Amino acid sequence: MNPKFAAYATLDVLVDTEWLAANMEAPGIRIVESNEDLLLYDVNHIPGAVHIDWRRDLNDQTTRDYVGPEDFAALCRRCGIKPETTVIFYGDKSNWWACYAFWVFQLFGHTKAKLLDGGRDKWEAEGRALTREVKTWPATDYPVPAQRDDAAHRAYFQQTLEHWKAGGKLVDVRSPKEFSGEVTHMPEYPQEGVLRGGHIPGAKSCPWARAANADKTFKTRAELEAIYAGEIGLKTDDDIIAYCRIGERSSHTWFVLKYLLGHRQVRNYDGSWTEWGNMVRTPIEKGE
Amino acid sequence: MTYPPPLAELIELFELLPESERRENLINYADAAASCVRKEGETFDLEDVRKDEECTDTVGVFLRVDGDGKAHFAVELGPKVQTLTKAMTAILCRGLNGSTPQDILNVPADFVPRIIGAELVRLRSQTVYYVLSRMKTAVRMLLDRRRTADALSQ
Repeated sequence: MNPKFAAYATLDVLVDTEWLAANMEAPGIRIVESNEDLLLYDVNHIPGAVHIDWRRDLNDQTTRDYVGPEDFAALCRRCGIKPETTVIFYGDKSNWWACYAFWVFQLFGHTKAKLLDGGRDKWEAEGRALTREVKTWPATDYPVPAQRDDAAHRAYFQQTLEHWKAGGKLVDVRSPKEFSGEVTHMPEYPQEGVLRGGHIPGAKSCPWARAANADKTFKTRAELEAIYAGEIGLKTDDDIIAYCRIGERSSHTWFVLKYLLGHRQVRNYDGSWTEWGNMVRTPIEKGE
Repeated sequence: MTYPPPLAELIELFELLPESERRENLINYADAAASCVRKEGETFDLEDVRKDEECTDTVGVFLRVDGDGKAHFAVELGPKVQTLTKAMTAILCRGLNGSTPQDILNVPADFVPRIIGAELVRLRSQTVYYVLSRMKTAVRMLLDRRRTADALSQ
């Protein structure tokens, strides 16, 4: 095992590029690419990988919500995923959307899931195999999950508000200027503003990118502990809610806290700042 | 609103394509963006290279207006530019090269969804409008420079 992985709280939740290159055709795994760049999978992808588009496949097409159990089962069936399949997620933008897809899979209890450390960026940088060929896997009979279990992994607005009132731990993973309220959008996305800038009062600022190395891999456990325990003061038993703008960057931090550092109660507030910052009369704090 | 004929042809072509072929063609155009760069020995009247907040990487727009008053563009994209933006670059170079500066300024942005399709115009894909705005900005900058130069020479 990659020695870095051995130190994390969860041992088998990451694979490295070397392992994946050697096991791409291993039975019982399905490689899933999930990107921000809508056409990147069509350009090329890891051989055998299937595409899950966060907006088309994971979001309800009308309500701001996720797909229900029926649609999740249908997605898994057409991707050739069975309940016992180990799904290995990877994608662009430091695995933002891969983490997001991983998180949605947890809402439906598909725990046999891993992330490719470094995502697509590292795979490409190492000159590893990419293809334009779309492989079709035989459809499966993935059963419809009994429910989407949001409670363990997801926080809604009202829950986040109550959490704040109770003095619960909140981690704002957006950029410093978004946190302070200087800007109402993230860098490079000026068209995605909200009506009010700032952060949830009392939230700690810890941009998601602090957990990543330059090659997009995760930092070591010791480095992550120095940030999240040392600087932010999070304890393993704290009830924590992470948020960003629409929930993808906070999926990355959710993954770090829950799986790499072993925090027991971490939820992703996917409504995030686009909900909180647009809601009438919600408490907002500005500044650092 | 009329579009420059080469652009109108491309709009018509894409509108008729089923979704899968539309995506395939967009990928082909994205691949072709690499050939929109400056060729050796080419000179331009205006060079505008910058990294804006609206785009994930540096975009260089190079503009020359020939003796017949026709505009010619070269566009160079940084490696992190998204695939749709690459595709729009090649489409716009093909669709706008040879048009007059005024025709380019008159092109409305409403053709973009007709080319890339409603499925792909959504949150996190708004940079498809970016290259058109940069090309128009280059035209405006060049026209302003020429107007200033003309005024100074009189």
